[in-house]
Amino acid sequence: MTMLLANIKKELLLLSRDRMSLLVLFVMPMLLVLILSLVQDDLFRATGGAATTALFVNRDEGELGGELEKSLQGNGALDLVQSLNGEGLDIKSARQAVFEGDFQFAIIVPVAFSAEINKSAETAVKSALRHQQKIPFSSKITVIFDPAVRGVYRSAVLNALQLGVVGLELSRKGAAFERLLPQELQRSMGQQLGALAPSGSQPELPKISFNWTEQSLIELNEELASPEKYATLPTSVQQNVPAWTLFGMFFIVIPLAGTLIRERQEGTLTRLMTMPVSNGSLLLGKVVAHLLICLIQFGLMLLVGRFILPLLGTPVLELGSDPVALILVAVSAALAACGFGILVGVVARSYDQAAIFGSVSIVIAGALGGVMVPVYVMPRFMQDLSIFSPLGWGLEAFLDIFVRNGTVVTVFPQVIALGSFFLLSIMIALVIFNRWRRGH
Amino acid sequence: MKQVENPTILATENLHKIYRGAANPAIDGLALNVSKGSIFGLLGPNGAGKTTTISILCTLLQPTSGRATILEHDVVGDAAAVRRKIGLVPQDIALYASLTARENLRYFARILKVEKALIKARIDESLELVGLADCADQPISTYSGGMKRRANLAVAILHHPAILFLDEPTVGIDTQSRSLILENLVELNRRGMTLIYTTHYMEEAQQICDEVAIIDGGRVIACGEPRQLIAAAPESKNLEGLFLQLTGKQLRDRME
Repeated sequence: MTMLLANIKKELLLLSRDRMSLLVLFVMPMLLVLILSLVQDDLFRATGGAATTALFVNRDEGELGGELEKSLQGNGALDLVQSLNGEGLDIKSARQAVFEGDFQFAIIVPVAFSAEINKSAETAVKSALRHQQKIPFSSKITVIFDPAVRGVYRSAVLNALQLGVVGLELSRKGAAFERLLPQELQRSMGQQLGALAPSGSQPELPKISFNWTEQSLIELNEELASPEKYATLPTSVQQNVPAWTLFGMFFIVIPLAGTLIRERQEGTLTRLMTMPVSNGSLLLGKVVAHLLICLIQFGLMLLVGRFILPLLGTPVLELGSDPVALILVAVSAALAACGFGILVGVVARSYDQAAIFGSVSIVIAGALGGVMVPVYVMPRFMQDLSIFSPLGWGLEAFLDIFVRNGTVVTVFPQVIALGSFFLLSIMIALVIFNRWRRGH
Repeated sequence: MKQVENPTILATENLHKIYRGAANPAIDGLALNVSKGSIFGLLGPNGAGKTTTISILCTLLQPTSGRATILEHDVVGDAAAVRRKIGLVPQDIALYASLTARENLRYFARILKVEKALIKARIDESLELVGLADCADQPISTYSGGMKRRANLAVAILHHPAILFLDEPTVGIDTQSRSLILENLVELNRRGMTLIYTTHYMEEAQQICDEVAIIDGGRVIACGEPRQLIAAAPESKNLEGLFLQLTGKQLRDRME
């Protein structure tokens, strides 16, 4: 125990002397979480995780432009902006904002939109009742796109807009039908009965109500393919903050492996190997010191998610209801990262090897584990592979806590998996270390 | 030079070491006997097998065959007991450069299992001996080459080892520092510590060693008191002359 404490103290002392590295260890992961969460927030929105922001220029002199706006806002797919810097939008300023990349879309509703739609609806109903030809488009809504916008993003906006326009058309056609059908029946009956038509009084026609847009006949029942796995989907922050936090924590692998390699290169490890100190104590001293660093990193990154990201427009990170489970997952993830760091430090022959192998393997494990793209949007084949990623285990456990109010029991399998990964890494490292020490 | 008649503290019998893939053995039947309380010089040209021998004796390397004992503990079978009895001054400055000398010594004292109550006194004693007491609280990275070598020595003697291995402890330092280190070694030996000393500086070996073994090709080619060895080779005026006579003048550059 004395040896272990001596080794922990030495490691902490060495870390504290390298202030620049310490700054990098704490500041870089925070920046990573901050920047990548913001960048990914945009992607998350594009893939349906949140509303898309678009400029909305309503030039309509009637009421239908406003109705369209309410309809678009109401379905939750679009978040409409109608003024910039306190000033109302016109076509020129909207086009300029999209051109400059401040917004990706602008929806322009023309001046005579209401008049044209009402007129067209009436024409369309009349044509239908009289079996006449299809009528041409009568009004045009313009959507200005940033050319750099991805297809999926563009489709999301067009679909939302199409939904709003169809609803509007249906309501106007319904209203025209309500009004025109009795007139048309009167007219038709008059023509057919001719002189037989009763004079002085009109026949009583049934009253028609066409309020169909608010009465859906078909209910859309959203059901996830794996409800037991993805019962509730996370917000962008709930997905991104734990994902990039884990990614940042696992980068402890490089400085940790570096301490072992430096000791080997500078000869201190050789000296230590001639002393009555156990291999376990040497390696565990490094693990414990770097575990503390990881946990401080974790705390700082959660603070970023809880207090700094919301200032930049993202939702607040909700931490779930079981802090013990949260700490347990954080410690087991940090242990897994430190165990892997020790293994890399023992296997790699130079700092360059450790840095390249360590960082590439973390990026691969991060990609497989759903750090860059959530596992539920990956192809099935990749979803199956994600079970091999320690970052994936950690992320799933964090999502269980943040999104599904998971408890210690819920995250127990992931904690066991992360703990086992740590033990396996340390055991392999110890076998190699013992071989060195036995002078093979 | 004192007369050495003490019991054997270190012995090797028919020690062999062949590195994987090497054509020739690094050590080829090495047999040594070192008396307790002596300063024993292990001399030889580059690639002669000095560092391999020291590494085996310090439990860093296993021999391919043969046996080595320190205070009757087998260096392979009883490595843990051997590690408690030995100290090593490696050729590298094996210290943490960002820590101060005192912090380095405190850490290594705990690793060397120096009793907690004795740690401070042992640190002060070691620093005093190597002349670093006044700058003990400066980081090692700020030290000159000679100071680093002395700090390297201070760590190895913290636990009062029975036997101290020194792998070229004076390489690359100025005359003053070298002189001080040699004085320190003689003082440590006077206090009862056995020293196994490798160096390329023959005048140093002649000056402080009670006994030397000249090895080449992994074998002992001469062993005895320096004065007697020189006397037995009339054409050699000193140890350096004898060394060149025995090992030749050709360069020994060797790819590892």
